[in-house]
Amino acid sequence: MRALTAAAIGLAAALALVLTITAIGVPAGRTSPKPLLTTVPRHP
Amino acid sequence: MRRKASLVLLGFAVFFTALSPLLRWYAFPRLAKIPPSEYQVAVLEAKNATLLDYNQMKDVTVPEVNIVQTLRGNVAAAQQVKKETGRDVVVWDALSYIADSHGAMVSEIPERYVFDAHSQAPVHAAGENVDGDPVRRQGIEFKWPFLTRKRDYYYFDAQTRTSAPIHYRGTRTFHGLKVYYFEQTVPWTKVPLPKKMPLGVTPAVVTAAGMERWYTTKRMFWVDPTTGAPVNGEEVHQEEMRFIGHPEKPPLIAFAGDVRMRPDYVDSTVKLVKSQRQLVLALTSYLPWGFLGLGAALLTTSLVLEARSRRPGASSSADSAEPAPEPVPA
Repeated sequence: MRALTAAAIGLAAALALVLTITAIGVPAGRTSPKPLLTTVPRHP
Repeated sequence: MRRKASLVLLGFAVFFTALSPLLRWYAFPRLAKIPPSEYQVAVLEAKNATLLDYNQMKDVTVPEVNIVQTLRGNVAAAQQVKKETGRDVVVWDALSYIADSHGAMVSEIPERYVFDAHSQAPVHAAGENVDGDPVRRQGIEFKWPFLTRKRDYYYFDAQTRTSAPIHYRGTRTFHGLKVYYFEQTVPWTKVPLPKKMPLGVTPAVVTAAGMERWYTTKRMFWVDPTTGAPVNGEEVHQEEMRFIGHPEKPPLIAFAGDVRMRPDYVDSTVKLVKSQRQLVLALTSYLPWGFLGLGAALLTTSLVLEARSRRPGASSSADSAEPAPEPVPA
């Protein structure tokens, strides 16, 4: 019974961690203020 | 004591073992996404290309033609499309600016491309266009999906506004990366004229002069299969102005050249892809396999401890809740 409880806690923790990380997701950021280029960038 | 330790280890074993498939099959599709604010520039060049001189109305050879391709993620538009469709999308406002060897504009074609941030599947939303013409894309454009497979994909061609298969032609090594090589040939097709051309020439002027634009290209991409990002691209591209109703008249070459990615942009793209692929590999390979191994090791340790604690005369008897009763004289 105690083994089952330990396994259930492990499983629940894994689910909680993954669900939290995916719920936070990736930040959208902001549209770049840089323009769509109409000049040829120089060679570095 | 051993009993408790084995239970704690069992809990961690289940935790890490469960994380393995959860990361690979649940978290990866939700976390591996193109950032909606992505901004990228690529410069391609065609050496000794042929261009149409609109002053003389004849084709001329020029030392080089540059194609500057800018992709800018429109975050506000992506959020709007997400509200409408419920999907995480990326909206790319792109511009292909073609310049002659003096930097003067030859043509420029803007487009808006809306796609699923993970799967790269096109999402149809208001504003999707090429050069102002509404389009409905099928397949991919600019980038392949994460974990690209060795198969043909549908690739959207902005000139013809149609999609056709781009064929997987094998695996190559490019700048130390294992890449998939894809190739597509677009046969001679009548295509719309760009809305912006040199000297203020408009599509109506060209049509009034009795001409129409035809185009063919052989398109090649070297794609990193982990990120789906092309690390190199090349096009053998030809455009002609043909006289409507006069097949006997030789066409004017509007553009002909072997367009290749400029070496400095190849280097920067390879560098970017090499760093990004580590993140994708972490979610699809390193962490899932690592956690699975760790889970197995912890489970084994837990079982060993449990077995030892059950062995007769094992010191773990000290863990028993109640001490053994004192012997009582008969």
